[in-house]
Amino acid sequence: MQIPEGLLYNHEHEWIQRKDGSVVRIGVSDYAQDQLGDVVYVELPVDGSTVAKDDLLVEIESTKSVGEVYAPFAGTVVAVNQAVADSPELVNTSPYDDGWLVEIDVAGGFSEAGLLDATAYKDLTE
Amino acid sequence: MKRSPLHQTNAALGARFVDFGGWEMPVQYESVLAEHRAVRNSVGFFDVTHLGRFELTGPGAHHAIRKLLCNDIERVEPGHSQYTMILNESGGIIDDMINWWWAPDEFWVLPNAANQQRVMDAFAAQPGCTLADLQMSTVLIALQGPHAKDVFEDILGAAPGRFRLVRTEWEGGCISMAGTGYTGESGGEICTDPNTGVKLTEALVEAGVTPCGLGARDTLRLEAGLALWGEDIDETTTPYEAGINFAVSLDHEFVGRETLVRQKAHGVGRKLTGFVLQDRGIPRHGYKIRTSAGGRGDVTSGNMSPMLGTGIGMAYISPPPDMEADAIEVEIRDRWVPGRLATPPFHKV
Repeated sequence: MQIPEGLLYNHEHEWIQRKDGSVVRIGVSDYAQDQLGDVVYVELPVDGSTVAKDDLLVEIESTKSVGEVYAPFAGTVVAVNQAVADSPELVNTSPYDDGWLVEIDVAGGFSEAGLLDATAYKDLTE
Repeated sequence: MKRSPLHQTNAALGARFVDFGGWEMPVQYESVLAEHRAVRNSVGFFDVTHLGRFELTGPGAHHAIRKLLCNDIERVEPGHSQYTMILNESGGIIDDMINWWWAPDEFWVLPNAANQQRVMDAFAAQPGCTLADLQMSTVLIALQGPHAKDVFEDILGAAPGRFRLVRTEWEGGCISMAGTGYTGESGGEICTDPNTGVKLTEALVEAGVTPCGLGARDTLRLEAGLALWGEDIDETTTPYEAGINFAVSLDHEFVGRETLVRQKAHGVGRKLTGFVLQDRGIPRHGYKIRTSAGGRGDVTSGNMSPMLGTGIGMAYISPPPDMEADAIEVEIRDRWVPGRLATPPFHKV
């Protein structure tokens, strides 16, 4: 199971990568994609939409189940990865790179409070 | 939780397990999609030991089979298997099953895992019937795919023809098999003792046959348009509503026949209908469907078709739609996704 250093994680098995300023990139962890199984459909939010913390952000469907990604922060969606809508299997094959999901400009600025580093997240998955 | 005698072998092959009707069974090994494609393009095997099976013998066996089941065993002869259903008095499907007819008074009945006891009870109540549960003393392995026949012949020295039964010896064990399955591909199902089952599994892996789990079994059966009891059919649906007309013979008396005679004469108010989505989205059990002619219904099974790459499903639509003329839409999270009606198998449409 890959858990790259340098990313932050939460208890919902999402990873968060800090980009410029208050913008973060969000995806699901290797553990999450492994649990989901073959991903066959990803429904992304509309670029530019505003989300509240814990709003439904992305739906990920596998051959076995429907998985939900909730917004880890309130903010504005500033980018969506159209490539995963076209090729949902990217979530399985490249969860941390090509399979990223959305970028959010966090309302009120980004804070690491409550997030886990790679070591702490590894403990969570074991 | 019950475990298959093949559990350790499955685990060593990398299986992930799921609770299925009180059994801990493999849901997938490497990947549902890869396993699905292996069965469509080559050959795969499934441990389906959780499926019900019992032996039915005695002077009343043949009469009980004809009386309780809506297909007529007299359409075939000993040495054949037959798909059939047990109905309630209203024509609702208590269970669907395969019968292996070995000899005039000797049958193996294979109900769904969840219905084994209920079906056994129904037969036990008939005069002259002797039942023996085979579920815990044997394993059941399905070998499916266009190359299955070659594997049967290479390993077991014999391949069952479509719906034919074969009994043979292999590695000191007795192998009973039928040319049946639940994937829409050719192949068969093999019943044997646990020790022989472990050896056979190892031989299949050695021969390069892909181990497959219940995840792929479900996408394969859906793509083939095969109904799943508990999802697409149950006691509230009749064989005619479900479009399983080929397994009904009104030429003999059986429980539930009156309803079917009436439905044959007057038609059904709803019909289980296949559809293919034309836009992104995956239909799931319980989603709403509507037709351009004003028909309404509920999706009973849905998923992405691994071979088509689009959403497929089955739904009861009321009134029954015009397959040629009507367009459909399925409601997926507040969005009506357009599609078309299609008669399965979907991957051959």
